[in-house]
Amino acid sequence: MLISLVRNELEKTWRSRWMVFAVLAGLFLLIAVGLYGFYVYHEHRWNPPPPAAWQGDLRHEMANNQATIDNLEKIKQQGGPFSGGRFNGLRLDDAIANLHREIAGDQYLLDNNIAPVSAFAMTRAALFGLGGIIMFVLIRIFGWLAAEQIAGERSDRTIAILLSRPPSRTQVLLAKAIASFLTSLGVVVISFLVAYAIFGFLMGSMGPVTGQVGLALDGSKPLNPTNLVVMPIPIFLLLCLGATMLAVLCVQGMSLLISVLTGRWAAIGITLAVLFGATIVSSVVSAIISLISGSSDTAHFLNYAFFNVLAPVGSIAPIFGNGPTQAGKGMSEFGSEVATLAVWTAAFFAAGWFFFHHKQEAG
Amino acid sequence: MTAMPAMVEVDRLSKDFGKVRALDDVSFSVAKGEVFGFLGPNGAGKTTTIRILLGLLHPDGGTAKIGGHDCWGDHARAAPLFGATLEQPGLYSYLTGRDNLRQFARMLGPVDERQITDLLALVGMTERGDDKVKRYSMGMRQRLALAQALLGKPRLLVLDEPTNGLDPNGIHGLRILLRKLATEQGLTIFFSSHLLSEVEELCDRVVVLHRGEVRAAGPLSELMNVKCFSYRIDVSDVNRALDIIRSVDGARAETGTIKDSITVTSETDIARRINHALVSAGVGVDQLVRTQRGLEDIYIELTGVPSGSPLSAPPATVGAQ
Repeated sequence: MLISLVRNELEKTWRSRWMVFAVLAGLFLLIAVGLYGFYVYHEHRWNPPPPAAWQGDLRHEMANNQATIDNLEKIKQQGGPFSGGRFNGLRLDDAIANLHREIAGDQYLLDNNIAPVSAFAMTRAALFGLGGIIMFVLIRIFGWLAAEQIAGERSDRTIAILLSRPPSRTQVLLAKAIASFLTSLGVVVISFLVAYAIFGFLMGSMGPVTGQVGLALDGSKPLNPTNLVVMPIPIFLLLCLGATMLAVLCVQGMSLLISVLTGRWAAIGITLAVLFGATIVSSVVSAIISLISGSSDTAHFLNYAFFNVLAPVGSIAPIFGNGPTQAGKGMSEFGSEVATLAVWTAAFFAAGWFFFHHKQEAG
Repeated sequence: MTAMPAMVEVDRLSKDFGKVRALDDVSFSVAKGEVFGFLGPNGAGKTTTIRILLGLLHPDGGTAKIGGHDCWGDHARAAPLFGATLEQPGLYSYLTGRDNLRQFARMLGPVDERQITDLLALVGMTERGDDKVKRYSMGMRQRLALAQALLGKPRLLVLDEPTNGLDPNGIHGLRILLRKLATEQGLTIFFSSHLLSEVEELCDRVVVLHRGEVRAAGPLSELMNVKCFSYRIDVSDVNRALDIIRSVDGARAETGTIKDSITVTSETDIARRINHALVSAGVGVDQLVRTQRGLEDIYIELTGVPSGSPLSAPPATVGAQ
């Protein structure tokens, strides 16, 4: 019975909202064509560049870092007005020490054949396609679609027939949640594949799919033996996909809860207001707190709000390069965000189920 | 009440919406195979009762059962026994009529395409079954909703204002179809409508609900046989005639809806006495007609809806001068 109900929901979503998916497909196509056009214009070539091994990139980075160290040492030895200055916000001695650590970290990766996470087309596509701006947009579309699941039936006056039929309310709600999840999974996988194809082209190779990648526990520091999590590429991909879909599920849980309680337009309005507005309000609050306290870490508690952690993949690592990123990123933060999302998701679905089970449909 | 086993049992049902009491101690039952009329003006509590029967609302007091199963607490067992249509047909406008039936059929088990085709034919929708519902008229939606209610071969049909939007031919067709379903398939029909003539022609028994209370319940034949006489008198001077008629023992008179006419009701037959009194007083009587007391008259008496409804039954002439 549940499978039949899920099939019903998938059919309804597709037949009523095919235009949304058509627009998304058009957008993907437009982005791909635009990027290709930019590539041709910038690189003066139609075909992909020759593939470059990640080891070469790392050696190049090490050479650059060594050159920077040499320059900083020269400035120090010459004395003068710049010798007491700062580099990248650090005192020269600290900057030089950091660069040495980066070189040592890179050398460790080379020696142990551990690629940085941005080394391959597939891992870059996972970071880009399952995090960042793409998921920011998609997750709001998924929220909107889920907000219509129950409220739309109420507006169409089909809720009475739906609930008067033999399947229990639990089954009806579960079918709607599963159908929403499957639909969004399909879109997310397609968006990842599009990103994978784009990065495969730009990097000249679809790259290995069975190697290992290294991830920083603390993204603000370079990879080194004490700041490293190593995992196979497929596991990394599944980790990113799982975290992304958990965020999607969290939003769908919230949307379904709102949908249970309100009519169609109220549900859509409240859902989008939360997904857009709450993030903006939170950013303002975070800025004020940071300004008052003088430290960005003081406002970190806001990351326990679900709407601030809806793109956990974006917290794993910067999408391009292996350099250090801002504080509060890396696998530790990723784990914290996933745990936060899991708690909120469970709470949303439990509340949605409770209210749907007891909701009286007076018409 | 009837001796046959009950398909619907409503016992001391009550329901409040905030401070408004929608249902107050409502009790009735519908026997298996019966065509049951559910009457009442707007706000009487009909839809609330139906929504409780369908498991959409939880009663505050009392019980509602279908086939012996509680409509809220044991919905999973009650639901397969009935099919329902509501006042506003709940259909997916972006799907075809056939796909709508497939949707609802999947909620009952494996889809039987042949049954869907048969049902579309039964409600006269074969030719439009593959059109999207958004292109349907209200009448076509009602017919498709009826087909939806008949999916899964239910034993009880709950119909809330099923004639809404139907043209006279459609109403006639629906009446024949429901009669056929009741007699040939033994289907129990719970028919809620404001069209009293439909209820009068179709139903074996009725319940009249008003302000959340049952005002009358029983076989139509019994309700119609309550002793009461009703007349329409066309006179030359209405005001004088009213005074004269009101002086006749047992007569209740009021101005009629037709010009120069008076409506009179009485518990005894006073036609000759009225006629005599008017003629003796020199008031010209153009016509004195005994009107048949229909369901509508009973309904008006019970619910207090003002007389003069355009749905009056045709008069039967008994005498004139």
